[in-house]
Amino acid sequence: MSVLQPDALALASPLARRNPTVKLALLFVVSAVLLLVLDPMTPAVLYVLVAGAVLLGAGVRPRALLVAQLPFVAFALGVLLVNMLSRPGEVVWQGAGLRVTAEGLWVGAGLAGRTLLMGLLSVAFVATTDGVALVTSLHQHARLGAKVTFAVLAGYRLLQQMGAEWQTIRRAQSVRAPLGRRGRPRVGLRGHAASAFALLVGSVRRGDRVAGTLELRGLGDGERTTWRPVPLDRKDAVFAVVVLGVLGLVLVGASAAGVLEGPGALF
Amino acid sequence: MTGSGLAVTTSSGLAVTTGPGLAGITLSGVTVTYPRRDRPSLRGVDLHVAAGERVVVLGPSGAGKSTLLHLVAGLVPHSTPAEVEGTLVLGGDEEHLDLSSPVHERSALLGVVGQDPSASVCLPQVDAELALVLENRAVPPAQIGPRVGAALEQVGVGDLAQRQTARLSGGQTQRVALAAAVIGRPGLLLLDEPTSMLDASGVRAVRAAIEEVARDASLTVLLVEHRLDDYAGEAGLDGLPGRAVVLDADGTVVADGPTAQVLREHAAALHALGCWLPLEAELTALSGKVGDLASGAHDQLLAGLVPCDAAPRPVSAETGVRSVLLRAHGLAVGHGRQTVLDGLDLDVRAGQVVAVLGENGTGKSTLLHALAGLARPLAGTVSGQRPGMVFQNPEHQLVAHTVADEIAHGLADPAPTVDRMLREHRLEHCADRNPHQLSGGEKRRLSLAAMLAHGRDVLLADEPTFGLDRRDTMVVADALRSVADAGGAVVFSTHDLRLAAEVADEVVVVGRGRVLASGSTHDVLSDAAVLDGAGLELPAIVRWFVERCSSTAALQSALQALGRHPVAGSGALEPAPATSAGVRA
Repeated sequence: MSVLQPDALALASPLARRNPTVKLALLFVVSAVLLLVLDPMTPAVLYVLVAGAVLLGAGVRPRALLVAQLPFVAFALGVLLVNMLSRPGEVVWQGAGLRVTAEGLWVGAGLAGRTLLMGLLSVAFVATTDGVALVTSLHQHARLGAKVTFAVLAGYRLLQQMGAEWQTIRRAQSVRAPLGRRGRPRVGLRGHAASAFALLVGSVRRGDRVAGTLELRGLGDGERTTWRPVPLDRKDAVFAVVVLGVLGLVLVGASAAGVLEGPGALF
Repeated sequence: MTGSGLAVTTSSGLAVTTGPGLAGITLSGVTVTYPRRDRPSLRGVDLHVAAGERVVVLGPSGAGKSTLLHLVAGLVPHSTPAEVEGTLVLGGDEEHLDLSSPVHERSALLGVVGQDPSASVCLPQVDAELALVLENRAVPPAQIGPRVGAALEQVGVGDLAQRQTARLSGGQTQRVALAAAVIGRPGLLLLDEPTSMLDASGVRAVRAAIEEVARDASLTVLLVEHRLDDYAGEAGLDGLPGRAVVLDADGTVVADGPTAQVLREHAAALHALGCWLPLEAELTALSGKVGDLASGAHDQLLAGLVPCDAAPRPVSAETGVRSVLLRAHGLAVGHGRQTVLDGLDLDVRAGQVVAVLGENGTGKSTLLHALAGLARPLAGTVSGQRPGMVFQNPEHQLVAHTVADEIAHGLADPAPTVDRMLREHRLEHCADRNPHQLSGGEKRRLSLAAMLAHGRDVLLADEPTFGLDRRDTMVVADALRSVADAGGAVVFSTHDLRLAAEVADEVVVVGRGRVLASGSTHDVLSDAAVLDGAGLELPAIVRWFVERCSSTAALQSALQALGRHPVAGSGALEPAPATSAGVRA
């Protein structure tokens, strides 16, 4: 999933130039407000607006943007299906032992739309945010301690190595596993547990060494400087006002049009 | 801090405003004991290293070399708990640090390069890694950029500033780690086997970078290294720091003095302890004579090892032709859809040991995985019975909670096999212990025993002697050879060309995405152009024998005899005061 690794194009985009802490805060605020919205129309309108903005301002290729959203699409589909099949209300379709209700479709579509919108916002955030800049900004602007922020970055590097490590361990442990009917090694639940344990032992040990290296770089509680401070300026304020303004306008518009529904729709 | 008998020399937390040139080390009566260990790892160590001195610490596996280095860096006892007795003073007369100083405080005085590239760099991007050191010292931001650039230039990786650290090779990572260790201009550089996990070209690049950094004569350097043969390289004894300190298996200093003298006087004892020595010292240990290979001093000993008429290994009497146990045809392997190695044809016959040689990243491991049926080849076929395989890191294979259970894993009727394997691989003493708690050599023997217990015809081995001392390496070499001599076959990858020449009947050289050469070990290793093209460097001693042996069998026989040749003299080490090199005050 290429979009989850920030690439050069995305990192040179207008959205990438905005302050990471501001972007993260907006991501949280918008998601929190969305938690209170339960109709499908409002998230749909917001999704179209955000998708347009991301394609124009985040330098993410359309295909990469779609691929990165697949996990959210799968989750949204699950939410939709569960709601339309299980929620009581006016039956719009029946057959094969299943029945679909209008209320279920409406609420399910609302929840699914909100899932997709949060997914899109998260993908846009990850694609346009450099890890080091985020951590530096959280330290500068959100007053997070240097020890915590750099530990997070070091953890990210460990995480990058884990995939290859897991594959090697799986292969190493399947050499002695009995062969199944198709001639492939048969590893049961216990086999996977043993692999997970080996991965854990290795990661803990490496994490310990990396923590030592961080300390040897002089990471302590003393006075420190920041090489490339992340700017926080009026453009970020304008960005925040625009994002929150658009959100407010859409909510007001949806309310005026009579489609906006809150948590009351659940009951 | 856990040390109860700790004599604190100064108050802690002393602000150190460093520049280069005040980084002596003084240890007095230092004993370090890790929790749940019945004996100390370091015992009564007295050591003074003056500012600007260059010291190499050597000794067999488990002698406490790394413990000594971690103690100086403060990782012991501040990150790794241990009971510490005695005193440590870092720095000069006016300002100094002691055992109670935490790691980040000591970092102003010293820089460290560890052995594992995956843990020697912490941040996602190269320049951020170096900048971190300066940021933590509150260096004005305007100075940081130029200093990062200069530090990377100095170690020869100036073009990597913007690179992701996850995409660097091992040699590049270690050079970035070296740049990060010296960018704060520490007075003391601690090197913990910095090249032990690299291939030949990585070793060369990192060695050159260390030499460049060490041109600053005020820099004190403390190097811990167990592969002195690789580290010294072609330069031999001259390629090593000027002073050597020897720890024995008990963690006691047994010799201390000028490196050439220490290695000359103690060569036999160090060799007997299983240390990897520079060739000159190894030959001195065996012949009792002084001089390097080119001097001819050892020619008589070496010529005596070349067999007059080494017969090829016996061919099965019944068939006349040895049967093919594993066959690869038109094989292409890679990561994902990207081809790393293409066009490999290989017949592995009963009785044969085949070595796969090449630089890191040429697809040796991926090839072995494909031969083992663990990775799907991108093209071509592999046929034959299911092979066994041991991996570079034996821990990756461990699944059980005791050594005996580990060997029994996957066996239908384990009882008779487990006892035999424990005996044959000298694991009886630890049959009930947790495999993760064994020494490196024991883990390797266990991984071999657990695989061989399955009795498969073909054994594949990925860097099976990686990180082992000389004694354990010989044990593994013997195990590989005996699999083939019992009618099986072995394919193994290695960076150790001496090991390849000693056990392999055939070698396959890979590089630039294809097979560069394959054939009998003697023929391929005689071809300087092939080795050069593959980035391989033939050790001087192997070259000596290749030139004088007429066949692969003779080459194997000579190198085996050399590895197992008894040392000249008694080979016993006396405690330091009794040596003529003596302890420097």
